[in-house]
This record gives sequence, structure tokens and C-alpha cells, in this order.
Amino acid sequence: MIDDAGHQRTPRADRSAREDVRITDGDLRLRAAREVMHKRLLFVAGGFGILFGAVGLKLAAATVWMPMAPEKRQIAPQVPDIPKSDPRGLMAGDFTLPQVHRASIVDRNGQALAISLPVAQVYANPQELIDPEDAADKLMKVLPALDRAETVRRLGLKKQFVYLARDISPNQEIAINNLGIPGIYFEPGERRHYPLGRTAAHIMGAVDIDDHGVAGVERFFDKRLTSDRTPLTLSLDVRVQAVVHDELQAAKDNFQAIGACAIVMDVRSGEIVAMVSLPDYDANNYAHATDDERFDRAVTGMYEPGSTFKLQTAAMALQLGVAHPWDRFSTIPIHIGRFTISDMKTDHFAPWLSMPAVMAYSSNPAAAHMALDVGAQRQQDWLRAMGFFAPVPVELPEAGRPIVPATRNWGISTVMTVGFGHGVAEPPLSIVRGTAATANGGILVKPTLVSRASAAPAQATAPAAMTAPAPLTDPSMAKPAVVTATDADDVVQPEGPRLLSEANSAIVRKMLRLVVTQGIGKSAESPGYFVGGKTGTAEKIGPHGGYLKHVNVSAFTGVFPMNAPRYAVYVMLDSPKPTPQTHGWTTAGWNAAPTVSKIISRVGPMLSLFPDAAHAAEIDATLAIPMEPGVPPGYRPLGPGNDPGDPRNREPATKPPAGHGRASRPDSTVADLRPREQPAMGARVQTVAAHPSTHLPPPTPRLD
Amino acid sequence: MAVVSRADNSKLARWWRNVDRPTIAAVGVLISFGYILMLAASPAVATRIGASRDMFILKQVIFLSLAGLVMLGVSMLSLNAIKKLAIVGGALALAATAMTLVHGMEIKGARRWIALPLMSVQPSEFLKPCFAVVTAWLLAERRKRRMFPGLPLAIVGFGVILVLLKSQPDIGMLSVITMVFMTQLFVDGLNLVLVAGGVAAMIGAFFGAYVIFPHVRSRVERFLHPNVGDHYQIDTALRAFGNGGLTGRGPGEGRVKDLLPDAHADFVFAVAGEEYGMLVCLFIIAVFLFIVVRSVLKLMREDDPFVIVATAGLATGFGLQAFINMGSTLHLIPTKGMTLPFISYGGSSALSIALTIGMMLALTRHRIGSASGQEPSFIMQKTVSA
Repeated sequence: MIDDAGHQRTPRADRSAREDVRITDGDLRLRAAREVMHKRLLFVAGGFGILFGAVGLKLAAATVWMPMAPEKRQIAPQVPDIPKSDPRGLMAGDFTLPQVHRASIVDRNGQALAISLPVAQVYANPQELIDPEDAADKLMKVLPALDRAETVRRLGLKKQFVYLARDISPNQEIAINNLGIPGIYFEPGERRHYPLGRTAAHIMGAVDIDDHGVAGVERFFDKRLTSDRTPLTLSLDVRVQAVVHDELQAAKDNFQAIGACAIVMDVRSGEIVAMVSLPDYDANNYAHATDDERFDRAVTGMYEPGSTFKLQTAAMALQLGVAHPWDRFSTIPIHIGRFTISDMKTDHFAPWLSMPAVMAYSSNPAAAHMALDVGAQRQQDWLRAMGFFAPVPVELPEAGRPIVPATRNWGISTVMTVGFGHGVAEPPLSIVRGTAATANGGILVKPTLVSRASAAPAQATAPAAMTAPAPLTDPSMAKPAVVTATDADDVVQPEGPRLLSEANSAIVRKMLRLVVTQGIGKSAESPGYFVGGKTGTAEKIGPHGGYLKHVNVSAFTGVFPMNAPRYAVYVMLDSPKPTPQTHGWTTAGWNAAPTVSKIISRVGPMLSLFPDAAHAAEIDATLAIPMEPGVPPGYRPLGPGNDPGDPRNREPATKPPAGHGRASRPDSTVADLRPREQPAMGARVQTVAAHPSTHLPPPTPRLD
Repeated sequence: MAVVSRADNSKLARWWRNVDRPTIAAVGVLISFGYILMLAASPAVATRIGASRDMFILKQVIFLSLAGLVMLGVSMLSLNAIKKLAIVGGALALAATAMTLVHGMEIKGARRWIALPLMSVQPSEFLKPCFAVVTAWLLAERRKRRMFPGLPLAIVGFGVILVLLKSQPDIGMLSVITMVFMTQLFVDGLNLVLVAGGVAAMIGAFFGAYVIFPHVRSRVERFLHPNVGDHYQIDTALRAFGNGGLTGRGPGEGRVKDLLPDAHADFVFAVAGEEYGMLVCLFIIAVFLFIVVRSVLKLMREDDPFVIVATAGLATGFGLQAFINMGSTLHLIPTKGMTLPFISYGGSSALSIALTIGMMLALTRHRIGSASGQEPSFIMQKTVSA
């Protein structure tokens, strides 16, 4: 361009001299152009200096100055995790192993119930192996169970990742690592283990292959167990759990029951010390347990409570002021519609029994009368407040919803049948909770599987106005030889809504004790432990919906020691068979109550409670209540001629039964409230309710 | 350097005396690194794509041997032969590039390759050095023959290449050729206003490409916004550098390379960073810089405009290719697949680089007394002064 510009300015007149001028001129221009070129070459060189300098700076930044760390998986083969093992057992007793993530579960004494153990998966990169056969031989020394041919085949694959063995122990891992085979790697993992196997298997539940809880407390506390690595301390005591399991299994075998359940619960704190459901399974083998084995009868199983529910009827009648211990109730069979509520023919009750005797001998019509005196609405309110209408609030996802009649169908027949524990089905733990509430001074505690000491250490300091009604006066019991975690804070006060006054709770306690001292629960007595409780036998509903005459659910719900209630003990046997020792009986007094006695005798010392035979007479004196208490002045007792809730006041009564008097049968059976077609229980309740009182039999004058 | 007697007047001896031996040595260093890094990087890639683990290495041995021969052979050519080679080669490459649009092998959405036995050829790789020499010839020729329309012809040639490469599309190669062309015009003494205009046009074209080509936009977006989108490749490359540190993990000890796509080609520099560390990488950068700057500065003693512009163009192309590869591996510039000269795997690339360096060597040979463009001006200068 310079050339062009210069050329155009050249005058045509200088044509003759053009040759010389052009050469000189062009040469000068060329020289100038060269100068420009050389100058600009410097710029090019400088430009490249800048560009490559920038690359060098960025390189320094990327490698040394602020390097981007490689992801772990990218360099895993280069910097593998060094296997940790604990050959000297330095970590023994420490349940928070560093390489496991799920927290352990321990019982109240720190005994491990569930623990995650570190394991490793062995894998190989066949591309890095030198000699597959040699590697396989070496591995066989540590893992004898290895299939050599298969291992050699896998190690020879043209892959970069093959699994060789799974779930090997840390010791095996370090042994393989020490073999020094290139291309062999480990993948850390953990496996849940239940060292006690069947013990508390239903409470433990299970985890799935990914270590997520799928049942029991493993599921309920899944987040807690994965977020906080400190062990979860349960309220269970594995020693008590083992004894209860032992005795319950023996009873189940002896009576050939198809299932059984037992619960030991602290009546003050609600802590469940033992809870057993049979048949059970090995918690390590949850996947292969049958549905029947997995079924937790304590919280999922719904059973008609039978006569154990009379305790609630008596408690509500006392608390609501509709009845007093001296009030008397008719035992005469009640005919309602097509049904009859009666006691066993063998019972031969007096036609009128006072409240302690109703409890001690367990009369169905008398309990029905008591319930009628309370009335449908107040009965429902009481049962709802006691938690009988909702799943029992325990830390188990398996807790089921009780089966109760719809409130719109809650007619007088429902009132009566529920009054003696039929027409409703409750989980055993709800019964235990209700029993504890009536006996512990009247407070409804929340059953819990979490150790109170670990859950809320500061709780024990809160004093309450209510104290145990009859404190243990005996020094040997006041100062237990063994101080357990529970006994350390012996002033545990129940927490929860008060449903029963202190005085009424004392009366209930005396009546429960009376059942064992003079009533049909004598076989539950454990000398020196002052057991009190209530039997309950419910006929089972058969496959066609009707009650089975000779297939029972026998239960005993008790509390000990009755002078200072500490633990509720419950035993239930599903379909026990008669034995020669029971003289053909399958009622609770013959099977469940003796099992309770055995359990109390064995677990009492474990719970720092020792039998007190020396002061038995004094203590029993404080717990005594007459079978026929005298009426204090100024009261008109319920009884003959004063029975406001009796439907027969409006309708004719049935003919009185003859020949009363003896009443020491083990238990009264379920009432003859039985439909002729024997429909299902729910249907039965509705059937009864569907019959208005106009269909009841004509009134009959009662005999006094 | 072996000393060859001045008395030895054979062609080979004269070549050895006159050729730029340090550049040959530097190229030898690069080829050595290329072999070492190919041993490190290619088995992982070969295994991943299911080929024999030594396939890349064996092929690369052949490619680099061929490349060495081509480089040495070309470096022996005279200036006229270089011109002819560039014109013929450029025409062939242009035709082949045009053919890729019709018969090209489509890889990853672009038609840039022509399948041949043993290797696929990317003709535009050869177009780049040839066009640089042709441009220099056109620009120099118009100084000798005043009516020769050198600049317009060069611009027309560039326009043809632009259309072809835009259609492939190969924006990376296009931008390299554009920058080489601009540098050549700059060195040739183009008015600075026009140079500024050219730079402005390039920036405008860049924005145009950003708007027109989705893959360009995506790469630029990902470069500008490090937290948005998929950065797997570049992050993996940077982790490889980070894993390497100052002195590297050691030969064969790189691990991130196993995860790098194109570890043997576009991301070979990251493999070098992981296994040999910052120091060796700085050395490689220095070698590239040495070759480029030495070639450019040698031109300070050169008077022939053709030699100056051609060598500057070739050196710029070579240097830019190295810069783009290392810069994109280090996330200094948006990702652009371009091989690292002599180090990355690839036959086309190795041969075209060999052609580039061979031409550079031939152009920068000492030619005192030889009948080249330098001589007449020297004599003319004397005449004028006399």
C-alpha cells in the first residue's frame, strides 16, 4: 500500500530518470518497510511471551498456588483407605466405632442390643493384577471359603472392577492388605448385628440392606441412629427381658399356647423393662422370620381384655363418684335381647356383691351394672382419656389401633359388655398402661422404650405433691442391696394427666391386692412381693366370627409391690390348653397368674426389690380391705332397691339364679352374651346395639 | 551439536551448517515428551474405548517417525520449492477441505475428516501452514511486481477458507487461521488503523459465532459462568493438575487421567501436569515459547519480506495451537479441542506440525550467497551508497 501510494504520486515527467529513482525510492521504501516489519516482529514475540506467561501463571495456580483437589473416588486406587483393625481390643466397650455410622442400641445397663460392625468388601482391578492364579492362592489363605476357580476367572476378566468377597472382618481385611497383592482394594461398609439374637427381637426390629431401619426402634429412631453416634439407651433390662422370655416360653410350652406376651413396666416412669412376644425370631435373621414370628403381640396384637377391664370399670365408677367400695351390685344374669350376661354356672355367686368382691371374684353381671351406673358417655370419656381409643404411644412403629365400637353404636349393651372387657380389643401394652395408671396414684404415664436416665436426666428432681401412698417402711426394702440406674433416683414421680385421685387409687390397689390374697388370682402371689392384679379370660373369636367356647385368651395384669407400686407385670397366653395340673381349666388364674408369680420372684431381685416376709403381716394389714366393707353413716349404698343404672328398672328382670355362695373359681368366663348365629365381634356389637330396649325381655322382680 | 567440516560441501553438510539446530533440538525434546506422555495417557484411553492398550503408542511411533522425516525433508527445500509446495499443498488441502463437506466423516457433529486407511486426515490441518506461506508469497510478490494484486488475492483466499471452515464447522481452526492471517498482515506493515479494524472484525465475528453456533455459545457460557452447567471435563483436568502439584505423582502414577476424556489428545497437558507436575509443565511451555520466539527473533536479521511474513505466520500458527491447547486445558480460555504440537496423539496433527516446522526451518536457514530474495536488495543497497 505504501508502494501504491508512493507510486501514484510519482510524476509522469520523471519517466526518463524513473529507473534510478525507482530503485532508490523502492529500496528506501523497502528499508522502511523492513524497519516496520522488524518492529512488529518484536510485538509478535512479545505477544507470545505474554500468552505463554499467562499459561505459566495459570499452571502455577492450578498445580501449586490454589490447586483443585481431586475427588476421593478419582484417586481412591492411588490413595486407598488404610484398613483399621483393633487386634488388641482397644476399642472394646466403645460402641462408637470410628468407621461405622449407625449408632448402637444398648439396654439400660449398657449391654449392647444392636451394634454396627465394620466390614469390608474386597474388590480387584484385574488390569493391575500381575498373576491371577497366584493372587487367588494368596487370598485363599485368608479367605478359605473362596472359590478358587471362580476367583481366578474373575481376576482374569478384562474389567477394571470385580468383587471378590463381601463382608469380611477388619482382621481379614488387614491380613489381605498385608499380602501386598497389587490391584486388590477394599470398600468399607458396616453390618448391623444383634448380639443377643432373640432377646427383644420385636423391639429391635431390623434394618434393610442399606442400613435403614424397617421395623421396631431401628425404624422409629432411624434418623436419631444415623445422625447421632452416641448409643441409644433403651429402658429395657436384658436380664429381666431374658427371665421374662424364659418364663413365658416355659408357660407357652407347658400350656401349648399358640402365642404369648409378657410385659414388665415401671408404673412410675412408664419405662418398659421387658416386653416379650412369642413366638419370636432371631433379630439377625429378620428376613427369614415368618409373619407369625414377626407379629408383635404386645403392641400390634389386639385382644379382648376380658375381666382385666373390670379394673377400669371399677376405677371409673370410684373416680366419678357413682360407686363406693361398700356399694353392692347384682350378679344375677342379665338378659338383653337374645343374649344373656352371666357368670359361669360353677361360680355360685351371691346375688349381690360389694365392689371388692366383684373384683375379687370377677362377676360379669356385676361389672355390667357398675358400667351402667357410669353410663355410656362417661365410660367412653374415661376409656378415651386412658388411651384405649388410640394406638398405644410407644416408640414402635408397629403400634396398632385398638378395635372399639363406634360411639354412635355405644348403646347400653355396649356399655355392659365393655364393662367386663368384651366388645373391644386392645393391645396388651394399653392394658398395662391402664393398670399402671390406676395403681400408681392415678397418673397416666406414657409407656416408653427409652431409658429415662438417658432421655431426661434432670427430670427426677421435680417433686410432686403426690407421693406413693404407702411407702415401704421396711428398711430392707428401703435400702436395696443393688442400686440400679432406676433406684438411684428412687423418688421418680409419674408424669402425665391425673385420671384418678390418690385416695381412689389406694382403694383400687387394695382391691387388686384382695384379688390375689382372697380372690381368684391367688396363684399370682409371690411371697414378700405383695402382688396385686386382675385376671382376665376372654373367649376367642373363631374363624366364622363366633366366640369359641373352649379357646381363651388368658391374661393377668398385676403390679408389685402393692404397698409401693413399682412395676406392672402382664402375662397373656393365647389359646392355652388344659393340663392335668389345671384340672381342665384354661382360665387365667390357672396359667397366666402363676407365670406372673414366677416372673416376679425372679426379676424382683434384679430390679433391687427383695421379698419382705418378715413384715408381711404389717404390710398386708395396710393393704387390707374387707370383702364386704361397712357403709359409713350418711350414705345410702347402692344395692338391692337402689340400682339407678339397671335397665331392669324399666323392664322385667329375669328369674333369679339359684344356689349362690361359693365363689372361688379361678376365673369367671366370658358372659353368655353370644348371638345365636355367632357373627364376628364387630358385627356382634352392632347387632346388640341394633336391638332397642323395647326388644329386651319383660321385667322380672329381682330377688334380694 | 555435531560439527561438520566447512570443507564438506555436500548438500547434507551444507544443510546441517545452515539449519537452525536449536529449534530441531527443541522439537526433539517435544517429541520425547510426546512419547513419554503417550505411554502414560493412551493405555487408559485405549482400554476405555476397548482397543488394544498399545495401539495408540504403536501408531504414534509411526506418526512421529513420519513427522520427523517430513520435517527434515521439508527443511532441506529451497525457498522456491517451499513456495511451490505451499501453493500445491494449499490447493490440495483446500480441495480436500471442500470435499469434507461432501464426503467427510462426521465425528461429534462436525465434518472435518477424510477417512484414509490407517488414519483419518483432517485437511484443514495442512491448509493452515500452506495458507500462511501462500499469503506471505502473495504479500511479498506485490512488492516485487507492482501490479500484482497480492493483498486482494490473499483476502479472497482467506474468504474461501472462512466459508469452508464455517460450513464444517471448525470455529477453532478458523480462528487460528484468522489470527495467523491477521498477524501476517500486521507484520507485513498493514496500517495500524486497518489492523485495529481487523481486530474489531474478529471480535465481531466471535460474537457472531457465539450467536450462530450453539456449541460455541455453550462453551463460552460455561467458561464465563463456572458454577453453571457441566464442567466435568475441565474440572477433571484441573483436578489432575491439582493432584500433580509441584513435582507430580510420578511416571504412570496419574489417576485422574483415567477419567479424562481425550487424555491422549486434547487433554494430554493435564496428564503431564498430574504425573510430572508444575516444573515439567513449565519446561514444556518454555520449549514452545523458545521455538516461537527464537523463530520470530531470528527474522530480525532477515530482510526478505516473504521469509519474514511466512515464518512469522508459521510460528504464530504453531504457537497459537500450543497456547490454545494448554490454555483450554488450564481453563484460561473456553474449551477448544486442539492438539498440543508433537505431544498429543494424532497423525494429521503430527504431519501438519512437521510440515509447519519443516517450512520454518527451511525459511530460516542461512542463505548467504544463495540466490534468494535477500541478495538483490543487498546489492542494490551497495549500488545506491556507491
